Amino acid sequence: MLVLIFPISVVIGGGITTVVCLMQKFVDRGSDLQIRSVVALDHFKNYIYVEADKEAHVKEAIKGMRNIYANQKILLVPIREMTDVLCVESKAIDLSRDTWVRMKIGTYKGDLAKVVDVDNVRQRVTVKLIPRIDLQALASKLDGREVVKKKAFVPPPRFMNIDEARELHIRVERRRDPMTGDYFENIGGMLFKDGFMYKAVSLKSIIAQNVTPTFDELEKFNRPSENGEAEFGGLSTLFANRKKGHFMKGDAVIVIKGDLKNLKGWVEKVDEENVLIRSGMKGLPDPLAVNEKELCKYFEPGNHVKVVSGTHEGATGMVVKVDQHVLIILSDMTKEHVRVFADHVVESSEVTTGVTMILSFWSNNPSFGVIIRLENEAFQVLKGNPDRPEVALVKLREIKCKLDRKISVQDRYKGKQGPVRHIYKGVLFIYDRHHLEHAGFICAKCTSCIVVGGSRSGANRNGGDSLSRFSNFKAPAPVPPSPRRFQRGGMGYNGMEGKGWKGRGGRGGRDDSLLGTTVKIRLGPFKGYRGPVVEVKGDSVRVELEMKIVTVDRNAISDNVSVITPSRDISRYSMGSETPMHPSRTPLHPYMTPMRDSGATPIHDGVRTPMRDRAWNPYTPMSPPRDNWEEGNPGSRGTSPQYQPGSPPSRAYEAPTPGSGWASTPGGSYSDAGMPRDHSSAYANAPSPYIQSTPGQPMTPSSTSYLPGTPGGQPMTPGTGLDVMSPVIGGDAEAWFMPDILVDIHKVGEDSDLGVIRDVSDGTCKVSLGSSGEGDTIMALPSELEIVPPRKNDRVKIVGGQFRGSIGTLIGIDGSDGIVKIEENLDVKILDLAILAKFVQP
Amino acid sequence: MRMGEVAAQIPTSFGHELRACLRCRLVKTYDQFRDSGCENCPFFKIEEDPERIVDVTTPNFNGTISMMDPRRSWAARWLRIGKFAPGCYALAVSETLSEDMQSLCQEERVQYIPPKRI
Repeated sequence: MLVLIFPISVVIGGGITTVVCLMQKFVDRGSDLQIRSVVALDHFKNYIYVEADKEAHVKEAIKGMRNIYANQKILLVPIREMTDVLCVESKAIDLSRDTWVRMKIGTYKGDLAKVVDVDNVRQRVTVKLIPRIDLQALASKLDGREVVKKKAFVPPPRFMNIDEARELHIRVERRRDPMTGDYFENIGGMLFKDGFMYKAVSLKSIIAQNVTPTFDELEKFNRPSENGEAEFGGLSTLFANRKKGHFMKGDAVIVIKGDLKNLKGWVEKVDEENVLIRSGMKGLPDPLAVNEKELCKYFEPGNHVKVVSGTHEGATGMVVKVDQHVLIILSDMTKEHVRVFADHVVESSEVTTGVTMILSFWSNNPSFGVIIRLENEAFQVLKGNPDRPEVALVKLREIKCKLDRKISVQDRYKGKQGPVRHIYKGVLFIYDRHHLEHAGFICAKCTSCIVVGGSRSGANRNGGDSLSRFSNFKAPAPVPPSPRRFQRGGMGYNGMEGKGWKGRGGRGGRDDSLLGTTVKIRLGPFKGYRGPVVEVKGDSVRVELEMKIVTVDRNAISDNVSVITPSRDISRYSMGSETPMHPSRTPLHPYMTPMRDSGATPIHDGVRTPMRDRAWNPYTPMSPPRDNWEEGNPGSRGTSPQYQPGSPPSRAYEAPTPGSGWASTPGGSYSDAGMPRDHSSAYANAPSPYIQSTPGQPMTPSSTSYLPGTPGGQPMTPGTGLDVMSPVIGGDAEAWFMPDILVDIHKVGEDSDLGVIRDVSDGTCKVSLGSSGEGDTIMALPSELEIVPPRKNDRVKIVGGQFRGSIGTLIGIDGSDGIVKIEENLDVKILDLAILAKFVQP
Repeated sequence: MRMGEVAAQIPTSFGHELRACLRCRLVKTYDQFRDSGCENCPFFKIEEDPERIVDVTTPNFNGTISMMDPRRSWAARWLRIGKFAPGCYALAVSETLSEDMQSLCQEERVQYIPPKRI
């Protein structure tokens, strides 16, 4: 028997009518109608399905039928889908008294209501609602006066106060309901009792599925003079409507209904509606089967819980009070008392710090702030106003965007201390656990903060600067492709930024900010060179290298110094950082010299490695390379601590790199590497040349002057240490200037000359011109002198490190190190070329 | 096709009065049930006890099918109404027959299939 089903398009809503009509037609016509059945589905109101042998039968049957679109093309339902036609989801709406429902239509649309009576015959229920009555309008209406109906005005829900109504001369009738025997107040045809309104509505105008009253609604409902039992009743139906199966094995539960009420136990097993619990009570079967509806989760004060549904979803806290179904929890996040249903809570040791760490922006009053608390529909935001804490309540839609800043810098604020969580526009948001207000956030101007401990920040003398720089800093922990490049560079800006800036080239055109800054070239034939940007042309920049200007691709450079932040404001800062640089720039040359690298090498390796992985990790241990430096300077080690970030001159910087103290920046990067902890390391890493020189040689405060400058960092080039530094830092000159060494003299306006230092006094040197010192003697400042790197087999004088002052022979060169055979003890040492100068026999 | 059997009453209106028999799912109005009971379930004895209408019928049902020829309809077989009288039936009812009524069905050896709850 072949069965075919034909869908027939009908007028919406006319499905059942048509079906019944066809039935009638069948009864009347008998065998004329050859269709077998007709189906009308509730959820497909525009089609009916006819079961018949042939299409012709269908056509005949529907001829002349109202509600059917004439002349329609008759299709066929594929066999596979035939059963679907007959499948209906049967919704079980068990409406009973005390069920919670919601109104679908009218003034009370969406409102929670409780069923008080069900009339199945007439498909109506009587529900209890919180009235929304405009008494004034009602009074006017009843008096026959004109009522101006305010459009779309929904009176707020409020309990009906009979006396109030009476005052307005509204007629209130007291009636007795024959069915229930209760007294009702009849006002204008509406029934009221106990402040509630009782209304008879059809089943169709209420929603009975998935009606979960919120805690507030329930409270409201149960407020007026209802005893605890009533509330209980409400809650139990609430539970009845709950989704099944949310008890888990191990949950502590309590029986809330029936004979075993108030029995506590633990869930052993959950089996659909029955939950097996172990109660440990004698005389009871163990495990005991209890209906899920009769159970409720139980918590004890002191439990740490997490709210998993409801208004406060996501909050964690400690239970402080248990009140039947309601728990009062002290929220971890907001330190407030929160009331939640036991149902919505699970035990958890998770502590939510909340979704509070988002920096947001809102539109009406363009500003920014940090979310410190989540409320139901709005956020409480601590505005970015450093002068005073300002809190605003911001609605979700007013939030423009989330600003992502990820920087962690230790900062001190008016005695308060804490890590900086967000930075934006020069304003810092510091999180202090001990701060009781605003979820621990403090808003401060970066200029009023200085860095405490740590590193990375590339402490600038002017804490503010670095911080502000940070604020502009867009990229999170940078790990530039070649951290090593940075090492030295870091200077200045807190390496961090520099790193971030690697790709700067690619970042939007901030031409102006590039100009003048010293960059390091990463790619191309000029890789490794450093120089100031003299011109910016679209995608390429022109960098001045050692008296030569080259053009490189924007992407090939990395910003060494000062952060060039995209935002305009920031450039200010960059400039700041740049300043110190300038002076250092001049002696750029030295940097270019191998010396730079020599020193660098060991350091780089050591430092670099850790850095690479975690650019800003201050704790990265310093690696061996350091030892290179150590060699000569056991003593210096001792001194290094001086230079610890703590070192007075550099106070600003604290840590970052001990020693790098100055470097702050670059050092900073290194410091991350853990320098702060390890003094010696600091030295090692500190690009700051100082370190090199340091061993043994005190870095004079003058060096510190460079701190801010850092950019001076260049000199920092590891290894070069003093050498490099000297030009830069006048003060340090003494470090490497020693008699009888060959130097290059760069007097202003003159060509460079060779000369031999004959005497050093008071910061100036007496230099005899000529490669062997036979020429005239002139006075020169260390800044005008530069060590001539020795060649293999030269006699050298060691001008830095442990063996400063010793004479030896350079028997070999290894990268940036030199192998020296010291004359006095015939020891063979490997020293950085930077501290080796060609010795000229007086 | 002949009409070999007497059809059940066909609903005369389509509003709230429509009810479906909980056992056979026959759809008629309240008044029609009161007048002639349920053609498929005479043992309910609705005519004698109109109060029973509320117990054995429900206005909560889903989907309507007009069954002209139950013996030869695939749909009828699928819906298990192949043995019933031609008429209008519900595709699914939302309520279950009460315990008493179920035992009554058992006594009469009449099949009752409770609706599937999702």
